[in-house]
Amino acid sequence: MSAAPAHTASHTDTAAIRSATLGTRDWLLAAGAVILALIALYAVFMDNGSLVSATGDYLHEFAHDGRHLFGAPCH
Amino acid sequence: MTASPHHASSSPSPTSPTAHLSPTAPAGPDPAASAASPAALSPVLSLLGRGLAAGGLGGLAAGLFSLLLAEPLMDRAIRAEEARSQAHAHDDAAAANAVQHHEELFSRSTQHAGLVVALVVAGLAIGVLCAVAYALVHRRDPRAAPWPRALAFSAAAFLAVSLFPALRYPANPPGVGDSGTVGDRQAMWLAAVVIGVLGMFLVWQVYVRLAVRPQPVRQLAAAGTAVAVLALLWTLPDNPDPVPVDASLLWDFRVLSLASHVLLWAVFAAVFGGLGLRALRGGAAAREG
Repeated sequence: MSAAPAHTASHTDTAAIRSATLGTRDWLLAAGAVILALIALYAVFMDNGSLVSATGDYLHEFAHDGRHLFGAPCH
Repeated sequence: MTASPHHASSSPSPTSPTAHLSPTAPAGPDPAASAASPAALSPVLSLLGRGLAAGGLGGLAAGLFSLLLAEPLMDRAIRAEEARSQAHAHDDAAAANAVQHHEELFSRSTQHAGLVVALVVAGLAIGVLCAVAYALVHRRDPRAAPWPRALAFSAAAFLAVSLFPALRYPANPPGVGDSGTVGDRQAMWLAAVVIGVLGMFLVWQVYVRLAVRPQPVRQLAAAGTAVAVLALLWTLPDNPDPVPVDASLLWDFRVLSLASHVLLWAVFAAVFGGLGLRALRGGAAAREG
């Protein structure tokens, strides 16, 4: 069974390569996630009908009670 | 402390923590696959997953808690607001407009659901931000000591984004808040949160840089820095809006608001730290084969 050890070795090789190269990609993904999170927080806590013109006051009014409860300024 | 001697006997089945955290990982007993899965899921992504789970659950807990306890108060506050503006309707058309504006878009029951949705979304977003901040703070060894670090990090985050801004600008029930000043109030609130977060990084730096000093010196210096950050918040202008609300309702609402913040961070800390412990145990078991 010479195939099995070769299979295992290729697995650990790719794992090692991945863990060595994932660093930058990870931080890029993390940066993307941070931007999405900030947009979500803006939509929930800061929007006054100006995030996307189509949403009007809907976002603000839907999150209205959450904003008051969280202590975010509201009209 | 975290590496229990029993971890071999309580080694997780292929379907528990690592498989749960990495849906793409092969869930077979093949030792090569189980050894590869913790490496394939890098610390940063694993922290992001933990942050999402912890933040979502924290937001859900805070949302359900306030749905049960704070919504009756908010409904009362809105009825009082309506009564107030009805009384002033003749000489204050703007106030009457504001009330109609409240009622137009969504019913109160939709806004009740919106409370839970808003807090879950906010929890998920806060979880992502906390996971990335945690990964930066502990970048040298992101896997180590997950439980005590999760508790310390969550306590600091609670002070930075919840307690300090809430002490400077306490939450107000519906009916308080002039739409003419909302831009100023948002800038002030945002400034309070930013000062809180930067201040907590300063506290952490003070604690880290005094590493050679005795523990009481480090802790007193860190606490003193935190108090200074809190005091700094009073350089921001006061909330300009009047608060024409019954004092006991206002007190109850503010206590419940703070309680839901505490609940969010407590659940966040427990889930984030608990998942960190599971990942640590899963990783150790996989490494031993």
